[in-house]
Amino acid sequence: MIEFKNISVTYPGGVKALNNVSLEITEGDFVIIVGMSGAGKSTLLRTINNLVKPTEGEVIVNSKNVTKASKKELKAIRSDIGMIFQTFNLVNRSSVLKNVLTGRLSQVSTLRSIFGLWPKEDKEIAFESLNKVEILEKAYVRGSNLSGGQQQRVGIARALAQKPKVMLADEPVASLDPITSRVVMKYLKQINQELGITTIVNLHFLDLAKEFGERLIGLKDGQLVYDGKVNDVSDQDFENIYGRAIKSSDLLGEED
Amino acid sequence: MSLLGYPFAIIFSVFSFFQIGFNLEDFKRNLANRRIVTDPLFNPKWEWAIENASQALLETIQIAILASILGCFIALPLSFYASRATNQTTITYYIYKSFLNFIRTIPDLFWAMLFTVAVGIGPFAGVLALIMFSMAIMGKLLSETIDSIDLGPLEAAKASGAKHNQAVFSSALPQILPNFTAYFLYIFELCIRASVILGLVGAGGVGRIIETQRIFLRFDRITPIIVLILIAVIAIEQFSVWLRRKIL
Amino acid sequence: MNIPKQPFNQKILKYTITVLIVIGSIWSASGLEITPERFLTAPSKVWILISAMFPIDLSEEAFSRIVPKVGESLFIAWAGTVIGAIFSFPVSFLAANNVAINMVSRVTKQILNIIRAFPELILAFVFLPITGLGPLTGTLAVGIHSIGTLGKLSSEVIEGIDEGPLESIKSSGGSKINELLFGVVPQVMPTITSYWLYRFEINLRASAVLGVVGAGGVGAELINQLRFRDFPRAGTVLVVTILMVLIVDTISAAIRRRIIKGREIKV
Repeated sequence: MIEFKNISVTYPGGVKALNNVSLEITEGDFVIIVGMSGAGKSTLLRTINNLVKPTEGEVIVNSKNVTKASKKELKAIRSDIGMIFQTFNLVNRSSVLKNVLTGRLSQVSTLRSIFGLWPKEDKEIAFESLNKVEILEKAYVRGSNLSGGQQQRVGIARALAQKPKVMLADEPVASLDPITSRVVMKYLKQINQELGITTIVNLHFLDLAKEFGERLIGLKDGQLVYDGKVNDVSDQDFENIYGRAIKSSDLLGEED
Repeated sequence: MSLLGYPFAIIFSVFSFFQIGFNLEDFKRNLANRRIVTDPLFNPKWEWAIENASQALLETIQIAILASILGCFIALPLSFYASRATNQTTITYYIYKSFLNFIRTIPDLFWAMLFTVAVGIGPFAGVLALIMFSMAIMGKLLSETIDSIDLGPLEAAKASGAKHNQAVFSSALPQILPNFTAYFLYIFELCIRASVILGLVGAGGVGRIIETQRIFLRFDRITPIIVLILIAVIAIEQFSVWLRRKIL
Repeated sequence: MNIPKQPFNQKILKYTITVLIVIGSIWSASGLEITPERFLTAPSKVWILISAMFPIDLSEEAFSRIVPKVGESLFIAWAGTVIGAIFSFPVSFLAANNVAINMVSRVTKQILNIIRAFPELILAFVFLPITGLGPLTGTLAVGIHSIGTLGKLSSEVIEGIDEGPLESIKSSGGSKINELLFGVVPQVMPTITSYWLYRFEINLRASAVLGVVGAGGVGAELINQLRFRDFPRAGTVLVVTILMVLIVDTISAAIRRRIIKGREIKV
């Protein structure tokens, strides 16, 4: 379970990204966060694993206080939280397998990881994760030789390899075409349902949110403005979240 | 500021030339001496050169190989500590950066002189001097490269709970490996040239021979040696250029 | 699960390189009779030397001997760089394969390569009997070597320019000279100027060293002090040289940054 207690984040420079957000996310939830660029979605996501430190408030993940955790505790907490990014963040020159194995870094000694002496079990886990996103055959291909959609699947595999309890996805499909986007969202949904991993996804495509979401959270100017079931959301609610009428750029579009 | 720059540069240049004391009369007189250099050119002593210089040339190359390998690989971790991207601890960052800057200020021959006094005459001093030389160059080039890497993969590794060193190793190091290799080959070339000179101060290699012969004005021996060096340096350079193209 | 096998090439490349490096080092070390323990004992020996240098010699006599020599190194470096810049500039155009005809550029490049292959010290050797002991020899050595390196670097900058402005000049009826002056030169000047400054930084170190063969500069001072075991004074030479290099480096780096930044803003 993830608890946000009065989270506020002010960046140096004065930008107030989050303003007193309080929220609870139950284990196994599939949550989609929507909002305009700059509404605070990325920031909110990053307070969960403390990549962004809240200026005020605390985040509690599975009874552990993330915000106040020591360096050592933080690493343990983070190893249970997988994250995928809009820009995939793969190491381009490394192979797919090596990229996925970085998900196991927290479980392996520094020396072993440097010399590539991965224990058999870790390699097995890596292969299994790749298999789950159906990209096992590309294990030894260089990261940069893959398409965007394939790279994101590797990103998912890397997060899966951590055997996480929580999965964070920061605009995972923003740079992908409609078909590939739906494939990626399908995997995320599947993982959530089959493995019970709490999943939180930032999206700015409204139709995708409606298609895949269960619980919807809307952020506007750093504040929580909507929290409810996706099916209960009306176009009016969306307009509240965005502060304006819906534009075509807010929609991903149909499969060609 | 550029308006100020040019006149200043010109005045400074003229001043420098005066300081150096360029004197037309002296120059003309000395030009007559040129035959000391040019005469022996027509009578080069090849057998002597090949006999004596080959061993020393080999030494020169070995010094360059050992020093560039050790220097560059030591500089590798140092560079990560000297870059803001991979070292957020301000204190250590400044320490490592200043260290690298400091090493850069001392010319390679000065290092050689110091080391010959410290550890004795011979190629070991040369190796130590060139290690400092390699570290200085690789440190600067590499730390600047690291400053401009993609920080995304690093963030991803940290987000998964990896330790700092693990994150740098898995996500930052692979990004700069091509650059490291290119710099290494470049530094190796520089070391070969520098190694030739180091013998002058007793730090091993071909320079020693050139110095002894120069004192006796045996230009008939020096010239073939210089030619041999030229050939060796150009050959190594071509090889290194070919290697660079193949790898990258 | 159908687990793929790692392609052979990847493994081979990594191992070959590692093996080469290890063998190369061991071969070199044994050829030079250098053992690991010499490396371990070296730091303490260096420390002995360094502690012998401090406190450094701050006497009037020391400064009156050293400062002029340091200044001499400065002048040699500057004058040498100026020579290098002035002569390399036209030559670099001849060496650029997009400005000069193929044959001319290839020949020029080879000539530049040959000049570059001679370290400044060797050039100083060659000039010594002609120009005698003293800073003139140093300047010539530094200058001629700089022509080689600057020539190559400048020609590469010229080869990397954007052909667009050249085309527009040509199409509006400009001559080849116009093309060069108004199309090429403005594009390459910032980078080439920064190369000149960087060369000055390097030449400063080279000229400090040339004193060792009597070609002027502070190198002679250092080697004499070391020979006569006057370590405090040697320390002074080092400190003064380091200070000078640091100052020049900082100023030069600042100027170079402004030049490059200026270009970015213009574009």
